[in-house]
Amino acid sequence: MNTRRARLRISGMVLVVFFMVTVFVVRLVDIQIVRADELNAQSLEKRAQELVTYGVRGEIVDAHGAVLADSVERYDITVSPRASLARENAMGVIADGLARIAAVTQQNPDDLMAVILADPESDFEYLTQGVTLDTFRAVDALNIPWVYFELRNGRSYPNGEVAGNLVGFIGTDGPQAGVEYTEDACLASTDGVSVYEKGEDGVRIPGSEATTREPTNGGTLRLTIDRDLQWWVQQRMEQAAQQLGATWATAVVIRVSDGNLMAVTDYPTVDPNNVNDAAREALGSVAFTTPYEPGSTIKVLTAASLLDAGVVSQDSQIFAPYSVEFPGAGVISNAFYGPERLTLAGSLVESSNTATAGFSELLAPEARHDYLAGFGFGEYTEVGFNGESSGTLYPASEWDRRTNYTVQFGQGMTATSVQMASAYQTLANGGVRMPVTLVEGCEWPDGTVTEVPPTEGTRVVSEAAARQTVEMMEMVATSSGSAPNLQIPGYRVAVKSGTAEVAEAGGYADNKVVLSYAGMAPAEDPLYAVVVTAGVNDRVFSGRIASTFRDVMAQTLTTFRVPPSTTPSPNLPLTW
Amino acid sequence: MSANFAYANPAYARPLRYEPSRDANGQHDPQQGAARSRPTRVEIVTTRAQRNARPKLAYSVVTIVSLFVIFAAQLLLSIVVSDGAYQLSGLQVQQKELLRTEQALLEQLQVLGSTQHLAANAAHLGMVPGSNPLYLDLATGAVSSAPGTADPLGCGGGCSMVANSLLNGVPLVDAASVAAQTAAVAPSSAQPAAVQAPAAQSVPSANPDVLPAPLTN
Repeated sequence: MNTRRARLRISGMVLVVFFMVTVFVVRLVDIQIVRADELNAQSLEKRAQELVTYGVRGEIVDAHGAVLADSVERYDITVSPRASLARENAMGVIADGLARIAAVTQQNPDDLMAVILADPESDFEYLTQGVTLDTFRAVDALNIPWVYFELRNGRSYPNGEVAGNLVGFIGTDGPQAGVEYTEDACLASTDGVSVYEKGEDGVRIPGSEATTREPTNGGTLRLTIDRDLQWWVQQRMEQAAQQLGATWATAVVIRVSDGNLMAVTDYPTVDPNNVNDAAREALGSVAFTTPYEPGSTIKVLTAASLLDAGVVSQDSQIFAPYSVEFPGAGVISNAFYGPERLTLAGSLVESSNTATAGFSELLAPEARHDYLAGFGFGEYTEVGFNGESSGTLYPASEWDRRTNYTVQFGQGMTATSVQMASAYQTLANGGVRMPVTLVEGCEWPDGTVTEVPPTEGTRVVSEAAARQTVEMMEMVATSSGSAPNLQIPGYRVAVKSGTAEVAEAGGYADNKVVLSYAGMAPAEDPLYAVVVTAGVNDRVFSGRIASTFRDVMAQTLTTFRVPPSTTPSPNLPLTW
Repeated sequence: MSANFAYANPAYARPLRYEPSRDANGQHDPQQGAARSRPTRVEIVTTRAQRNARPKLAYSVVTIVSLFVIFAAQLLLSIVVSDGAYQLSGLQVQQKELLRTEQALLEQLQVLGSTQHLAANAAHLGMVPGSNPLYLDLATGAVSSAPGTADPLGCGGGCSMVANSLLNGVPLVDAASVAAQTAAVAPSSAQPAAVQAPAAQSVPSANPDVLPAPLTN
């Protein structure tokens, strides 16, 4: 009897224990295996702190490393109106706090109060955005509990408008213009994420950090531009543009040996630090994006083509009166009355349209077209600038009888200033056109360099044809009407002027011209080619910017310490 | 398990461990003698070998003490590591702040080093740009080219046509204060300057560390 009860009791206990163990096992399996991931995630969420680590957007530097665009840290000062208004004696505390903030940020306290009162339920409003470190620290030191800070990555352009047309800028939606936009692949950084677990006081639990993604910094983009020359030329062109009343003006300085752009300036232009104040047309680079009919500066290219084809020589003679009627092409006339019995050299010095048209008849249109195409017209340059234009050079088959002549003195075709500079670089470089280069390369932190520009040149005209053309251009610098304004003492300069008409609906405008001067120095062995251009709403002639060309060229020679010429200029016959 | 125990056989009535107690004289207690005559209970006893194999107290003490030592060491290590975490955290904050300061100063330096600022300061100090490249031929000593007009832009180099909004409110250097600062920074060079000053007023640089510039017209 006794033993039976005991057995029953033992059995009962065993059952209870077994049941309990089963319950615990089921629970254990549920927690440890079935819901393990979910629970782990939940618990990690409580301790884990996700931290975005910012990569730094790369710098844009000039040829010598001077910083043109740099990434900087900026701070937004934000406020929680709800938290601030929930305090005791809220209005007094807020007014006091805002007054102290406003004193640092140099804002009006009433404006800040308006921000808070605009939406009292909000938890997030900006008091001010993008302040510098000093301001941030000063406001942070005020220790106002309802004011918060946010870090943001900003962009600073320490040289302001210098090369602002080329560098471009960054808007709220990312890069907007210039190389900031086109070279974003080099400059862009990627943000990283690191997760760590924090204790109650926010301090990282040792050994808990796990980086899910490393941030990567952008590369350093090196331009071929010389910052100081760019500044000087920009200033000179702005001065010239104001004197001329020009609506736009560009200047391009290109190194002859490799086609590197030393300076590309635009007027008007943009200060990337302050884009809002700039006119819309000032945001890009007219020198790359806006083609114009270049006019007489094309004549030297025509001469080089004809010389290369062997159909003319420097002293080929032509009778070129003020106006000539060409069969089927109408009357072509010159800008001025001048000598009529001209040599090829004389036709350039006098900038005679009729002489150029007459000489052009010596070579088939297709061949002349191919020379112009060889100089780079009608094609995008190798730069690939944001919004770049290829200009227009129609195939010879589409030239009408008149265009057949006018294209040889730069009407009926269009080109950008950079294309003109490239063509003059070709002449200066003994007939070999080098790829136009604005970006020298993208330098990465590990020392590799990408985006290395092409360096393969193409021969357009023979060395002799190029040399003879440059000699004739020297005659322009020594013998033309503007010669006194073109002298750089000690240096031989070769140059050609252009006063181009501007096409408007159905014809050419009466009161608009594009003035340009293009040339190279030192003429005996050219190192730099310069093109200056200005669009003027007035009937003026290119002589007005001869001195601008001279100053830009003189400054270029000074900047790059070019040794003076040691041989005298040639003296070619201009008339017969 | 049972194999580990020896059985005392009741038939012998002389348990191995049961030693009759004797009095001081070695006489048998008659009472106990009477007890002996009764059959004794079966008792489990250990063998000598087993007694020898029994863990000694020292072992347990060593084990427990080492456990405590390990726990204590772990605790200390953990404290040290956490302390390091705070130190690390503090230093990282400090590093971040210093990096920020460096960045801000670098940014300032770049703005102050901008072409516009340098040009404006040069103009402020009375320098004007020349219009022509000048070349000194070291072999012949001849200066090629002609000086031309100074200041071709006609604004003393201070045209400031190329805007830079970052320079708004940045003051230009003051020649007098720069001179004062230079003297304060380099007292060693200021001394010879003071000595030479009365004798050589026209010497452009009295600083012995700087090459004297030739006087040019």
